[in-house]
Amino acid sequence: MLLDFGKLGILKWVLITLCILVALFLILPILFIVALSFGDSRWLIFPPPGWTLDWYRDLFADPRWFEAAWTSARIALSVTVLSVVLGLLASIALVRGRFRGRELLRAIFLMPMILPVVILAVALYILFLRLGLDGSFAGFVIAHLVIALPFSIIAITNALEGFDPAIEQAAILCGASPWEARWRVTFPAISHGLFAAAIFSFLASWDEVVLAIFMASPMLQTLPVKVYTTLRQDLTPVIAAASTLLVGLTLVLMILANRLGRRRSA
Amino acid sequence: MASRVTTESPVHAASGGVGPAAGHAGSATVPALRRRPSGLALALPALVLLLAFFALPVVLFLARSVTEPQPGFQNYAALFGGPTYLRILLNTFIVGGVVTAVTALLAFPVAWALAIMPPRWSALLFGIIVLSMWTNLLARTYAWMVLLQQTGVINRMLQALGIIDEPLRLVNNLVGVTIGMVYIMLPFMILPLTGVIRKIDPMILQAASLCGATRGQAFRRILLPLAAPGLAAGGLMVFVMSLGYFVTPALLGGTSNMMMGQLVAQQVQSLTNWGLGAAAAFVLLAVTLLLYAMQIRLLGRPEGMR
Amino acid sequence: MIPPFLHINGLRKTYGPVVATEHVELSIKEGEFMTFLGPSGSGKSTTLYILAGFQDPDTGDIRLRGRSILGVPSHKRNIGMVFQRYTLFPHLSVGENVAFPLRVRRLPQAEITRKVRRALELVRLGGFEERKPASLSGGQQQRVALARALVYDPPVLLMDEPLSALDKKLREEIQYEIRRIHRETGVTILYVTHDQEEALRLSDRIAIFNAGRIEQVGTGAELYTSPATHFVADFIGDSSFLDGTIAAVEGRCADLRLGDGTLARRIPLHAPGRPGQRAELMLRPERIELSPDPGPDGASLPVLVQDVTFLGNITDVVALTAWNAPVTVRLGFMHPLSGRLTRGDRLWIRWAAETVHAFPRD
Repeated sequence: MLLDFGKLGILKWVLITLCILVALFLILPILFIVALSFGDSRWLIFPPPGWTLDWYRDLFADPRWFEAAWTSARIALSVTVLSVVLGLLASIALVRGRFRGRELLRAIFLMPMILPVVILAVALYILFLRLGLDGSFAGFVIAHLVIALPFSIIAITNALEGFDPAIEQAAILCGASPWEARWRVTFPAISHGLFAAAIFSFLASWDEVVLAIFMASPMLQTLPVKVYTTLRQDLTPVIAAASTLLVGLTLVLMILANRLGRRRSA
Repeated sequence: MASRVTTESPVHAASGGVGPAAGHAGSATVPALRRRPSGLALALPALVLLLAFFALPVVLFLARSVTEPQPGFQNYAALFGGPTYLRILLNTFIVGGVVTAVTALLAFPVAWALAIMPPRWSALLFGIIVLSMWTNLLARTYAWMVLLQQTGVINRMLQALGIIDEPLRLVNNLVGVTIGMVYIMLPFMILPLTGVIRKIDPMILQAASLCGATRGQAFRRILLPLAAPGLAAGGLMVFVMSLGYFVTPALLGGTSNMMMGQLVAQQVQSLTNWGLGAAAAFVLLAVTLLLYAMQIRLLGRPEGMR
Repeated sequence: MIPPFLHINGLRKTYGPVVATEHVELSIKEGEFMTFLGPSGSGKSTTLYILAGFQDPDTGDIRLRGRSILGVPSHKRNIGMVFQRYTLFPHLSVGENVAFPLRVRRLPQAEITRKVRRALELVRLGGFEERKPASLSGGQQQRVALARALVYDPPVLLMDEPLSALDKKLREEIQYEIRRIHRETGVTILYVTHDQEEALRLSDRIAIFNAGRIEQVGTGAELYTSPATHFVADFIGDSSFLDGTIAAVEGRCADLRLGDGTLARRIPLHAPGRPGQRAELMLRPERIELSPDPGPDGASLPVLVQDVTFLGNITDVVALTAWNAPVTVRLGFMHPLSGRLTRGDRLWIRWAAETVHAFPRD
């Protein structure tokens, strides 16, 4: 009876109340920033005395914001492509491969998720100092790729495990070469997993801040680094404007992911 | 291993690992199936990347804890010897524990309701949870910095309601860190826990009821034990993530109340005391691995790691 | 007057516009094995769930020993139940599963140990106390569930298709066990199934459910020999139906004019009928005769053999009447025509008037 929503009686209302409170806890801070970004109070008074687009104008007027965003986008897109390709190859090995140590390999691939990011950040910082990769585009891509890869591997492995390899075998029996069979049959069938891997990899890099703080140089910094260094100085409403744009991007990605999910189930 | 050419054919998988030398009818008719590599080669690019830019730097860095400034364990002695660093260790574990407990308490009823409520409502709630989880970490932390500051909405509201006279210090201390981290960790607890509760057959609870169990008894003896693996897995994940967290403590906490993640960063970047930083990192990593090993021992491997 | 042991009175339950059960009226004697038999969606499970307290009826009442149980919550009804799915508590051992009802009733440990052992021995799983449910086969799990439902000596045991997840051989084995346990404990059992063979094998009486109503209640033999409705006739045993028109009514019997003008005489009517009304003639495949010669006038019909299926100990013959209606005839292995029939043979079906029935149509 405890798992029948209609039969919970008064407990149902207790649960609903708690859900509403938690939902408000989760959503209000986000709405709050959006409201502040349009408020005309430099001191972030809420509710704002009036409304303005000044903070967006300031944001777009400063070329450093745009440069940081452009750097982030270039890095994130490179990471996405590499992460999906490497993740796909590794996932095929993990799901279909028949060799000893497969489970160990899987554990190794997931390790970056377990290690506190700050340790990896510091370790890579020291290594890159020595290799001369610190503050370089390649350094950023490599660092972000390390943390994006596990997400990509999980998403693609899950999709591959749900796909019956007999279908690929059937394509080969029809005369397709093994890679042709993969390209024409398997990859389209697991496309939802590839898209999920792409979205997760993109977000893992685009939103990443800890590795980026250690990697950044005055010449090359990502958007989160720009936000972080600005935040350490003062809580200007320009950050609210930047954050609002980031929330907007998140919504777009969510809707995209939802559409893809729905098309798959349809 | 690469020389041992086997196929990925399900025919072989089904025949219980019979090698291709057995001349199985299936592979004899489909020569294309025989020429596949073992698959290990496909994993090589990712493996090389992780060895070169994950395993190698981490090991090199951790090794510095016993080699710098000179060989020996003086870094660990310093870490556990004085009140300064012990305080940081303690802070880290207290914040981690409190964040985990509060997150679990809030997440359980939400996950429970989410698992059984009508799909229309749960879709909305899921949307809110995912939006919050996917929103940029800095944007969310910024929101709490503004909300919790001395002249922030929360202090003003509490003053207007007459609950407090003076504004509370909610930021630049561990209170702010805890609130900010609970906010960030909630989705990581709610989502797996919902999955676990969804898998419980409602009929089992009906059976308990017919057996004579009151709601309280059914909750304590059946629902809670069956949801416990989810609580344990989610709780462990939240606790471990809290221990190593860097951004939120750095922005919402003060420099006087550091946590381990901040200590590692500070020692390496600002003080170039790589040895001590490495020792702190090693302690953090050791605790993390120990906890995961305990979980695997007690509950089996979590999903996705299978 | 002593009230019946268990009385279900005018039960009605709707889900929005869908009527799940209606006018369910039934009295059950103490110690009886009563089966609810019907197709899925016929309201038998709904009735059982109302008895268990998982659902509340819109109207009607259920009285146990004269007292209504509708206001009593599930956990206080003291009713035992075995479910369709495996519902053992996966985190508890077999012994703790069976002990659960006693623990929540706060019985002393010594009594719990004793009763658990007795209940497990009853289902022939003595010594399984320490095993976890996941290590048991499906049949063993359902036997543990049975022990768990009986350990607190409930006056009534509900069973909701408990064997549907098992294969045929195991099912028959456990059916036998259930009969033995019913005999040994004397518990009143309400059993839901859609399998007529299972119902006939187990029950003292069977209630046939259709479209939310009870069509007929009786022993298996009663339902077979005198079905009250077309539905019951179709559901218990096999039957063929031939359309006709009532030509004359004489007491509780009627003469039917069939499709080719043949008159079937003195057929028992199952509801009042009047001349001119349409009616169906029901024929049991194993109770009609196939013969090269016509029988006495008014009790036979010419047919053309359409299909012959050899089924081991029996042979099923599908024959067409002159107006192309199919009739099934079942021949025993020793029947003189068995093994000698081919498609296209012209023969006669013959019946004795007391073995066929007529159902007037509205």
